[in-house]
Amino acid sequence: MIVDADNGSNIVGKFEADVRQDETDEVILAVEGISKKFCRDLKRSLFYGMSDIASDLTGLRTKSDRLRTKEFWALDNVSFELKKGEALGLIGKNGSGKSTLLRIIAGLIKPDLGRVRVKGRVAPLIALGAGFSPILTGRENIYTNMSILGLSKREIDAQFDRVVEFAEIGEAIDSPVQTYSSGMAARLGFASAIHTEPDIILIDEVLAVGDSKFKTKCYNKLHELRQKRKSFIMVSHSSHAIATVCESAVYLQKGSKVMGGETLAVIDRYENDLFLGKASKSLGSMSFPAKSAAESTGLDLQALFFRDKHGEAIDSPISGELTYLVMACIVREPISEVSAVVGIRELSGESRLLVYLNSWDGDRQSGQSKYFDLSPGRHEIQIEIPNLGLGLGLYTINIAIRRSKLYLLEKVDSFKFAIKKNPQQTSSSMFFMPHSWKHVEK
Amino acid sequence: MNRLKKPAQNRNAEAAWVSHTPESQIRHPRLLIRQMFRDLLASRELAWQLLVRDIRAKYRQSFLGIFWAIIPAIVTAVGFSIAKSGGVISLGETDLPYPAYVMFSMTLWQTFVEALQAPIQGVTQAKAMLAKINFPREALILAKLGQVLFNFGIKLMLIVGLFIWFKMPVTMSVILAPVALIHLIMLGTFFGLLLAPIGVLYQDLAMGLTLATGLWLFITPVVYPVPNEGLFGAVVKFNPVTPLLVTTRELATTGAVSDPQGFWWASALAFCGLLVTWVFYRIAMPYVVERVSS
Repeated sequence: MIVDADNGSNIVGKFEADVRQDETDEVILAVEGISKKFCRDLKRSLFYGMSDIASDLTGLRTKSDRLRTKEFWALDNVSFELKKGEALGLIGKNGSGKSTLLRIIAGLIKPDLGRVRVKGRVAPLIALGAGFSPILTGRENIYTNMSILGLSKREIDAQFDRVVEFAEIGEAIDSPVQTYSSGMAARLGFASAIHTEPDIILIDEVLAVGDSKFKTKCYNKLHELRQKRKSFIMVSHSSHAIATVCESAVYLQKGSKVMGGETLAVIDRYENDLFLGKASKSLGSMSFPAKSAAESTGLDLQALFFRDKHGEAIDSPISGELTYLVMACIVREPISEVSAVVGIRELSGESRLLVYLNSWDGDRQSGQSKYFDLSPGRHEIQIEIPNLGLGLGLYTINIAIRRSKLYLLEKVDSFKFAIKKNPQQTSSSMFFMPHSWKHVEK
Repeated sequence: MNRLKKPAQNRNAEAAWVSHTPESQIRHPRLLIRQMFRDLLASRELAWQLLVRDIRAKYRQSFLGIFWAIIPAIVTAVGFSIAKSGGVISLGETDLPYPAYVMFSMTLWQTFVEALQAPIQGVTQAKAMLAKINFPREALILAKLGQVLFNFGIKLMLIVGLFIWFKMPVTMSVILAPVALIHLIMLGTFFGLLLAPIGVLYQDLAMGLTLATGLWLFITPVVYPVPNEGLFGAVVKFNPVTPLLVTTRELATTGAVSDPQGFWWASALAFCGLLVTWVFYRIAMPYVVERVSS
């Protein structure tokens, strides 16, 4: 662990750690059967808002368990508990109700059913730099921002130097915030929010801002707060972020809690649903209709699929295992110098190119360029992959088969497939690294 | 050392459970009122910070600065004085020199309008903050009212200048004038607070309000003396702004209050209305926040 320049924190960390054993598992946040309905139609939603206000004012509103026209349950009977010092991740796809739940916990909006009980100060890291005025200086904005978050002037005075130091603003603290770079403003916002000494911290995808150095600093700060027995609820659709910070997680799908418990188990379920869910049948193999003689270039691709280590055709290869990528084709006339190019991209995110394989670049065993001379008949061009390096996830392959490097015989775009998790590695790994654990006594 | 003390303090502070339930707060009036005053107290410091922020931000980006607070009153007074002396419009005789009458009344009217717009502006400007942070909602209103008072403070310079220039009489009753002024501000806040939550949801309100205040000015004795006859006189008299504005003006100058009964009725309306709309504001805000994108 990298400790922040803050000297006192480590001592307190230890002090608190000693206390920890004496305390029972104290619940400081209880979410009990929370439901919330939303309306997708704006005009109607405004109208419902007015009638809700009216029924609340007359005191008639007690429960509202029935959906009105065009309404849906954004949250449906969600319950969980947060103990002191626990970090809990809320995971789910966009629109699964994570942020809504966070807003109910923060007391911003009222639930329609159920109740939330909170003990202590809740700090939402939902809005970094709320109330920042671009014209005012960083100093003035720290005071407004932190008082919006509930600190008194005296408390802000006490924290001020630490905030400035953490945000790495330096002399720019007396310049207007509009002259700051977006990174500086975000740092100032995070620093102000994190120094409000909350008991429960709600984090909503905010750590996506700033450069990687600052991100590391933020994570270290969160770690330090964990040591001080602060509790967290972290919202993300990235299982990686959740896995690094949280020990338990709740998986939401369309507003309902699908699963809750130990982080890795929950993430496993989430990723399996995400990647291998309903679409799995169409993934991992592709076959092509036969071509007429006029259409044919001499080599017709019949199918694309994987074979496992036993040579059996499979849909989803397992990360780290011996795998063959198979291009089955029919050759109509003798073709010499056939080569193939394979590019693999991730299907999510920025769809970066992860792997680019070229048969003429040289082979693992021989080190020589590989060209195939094919006679008429059925063939399988295979790529043998001893340890499939890609981690759990969805990928897409582009393939081009050429004669003499240039003449295009066949081309396939976006052959999609999923890779299953290797039991040896957790899903937080982005790729598989062959490894073994050793112990050497010296 | 300081840090070692902190956990103990926190432990005291966090002893209470707070719960968020769908139940209507109206059903627990005693708790509601206790929470209202607790939040009002708790929001003092935040309101002050917001006030300082708004005033600084406002004047740092302006060349004429505080003069903007008094320019409209001067322009109106000059305009109406020219129109009146040229015989374009015929208005009754005022007990004060006409330009002073208009300028002073206009300043009071402006203060009322500012108080009326304060909650709506405060809530609309803080939309993003409201959607993300749970702070005492009263702070927004207090900060805006602070700004109204600040602006009035600047206008006071104009008024003092007027009194000296026109050698206007001042009686001891001037001490009571601020009380009447506060009632006037409270009346404005009452209407504003009633409209603020709806104003965030429906844009129509902000547009309609500008129109309405324009019309309202015509049935308030600002550029003309209080009419006593006819339907128009009745309308002006029925307007709750009239007794408050007129009483403030009378207390500050002649000291002879012409309609004390009307003043008390309007004050009672402002007081009770403000309390009721405060409850309305608190209850309505979560539903408004729900419909503001975060």
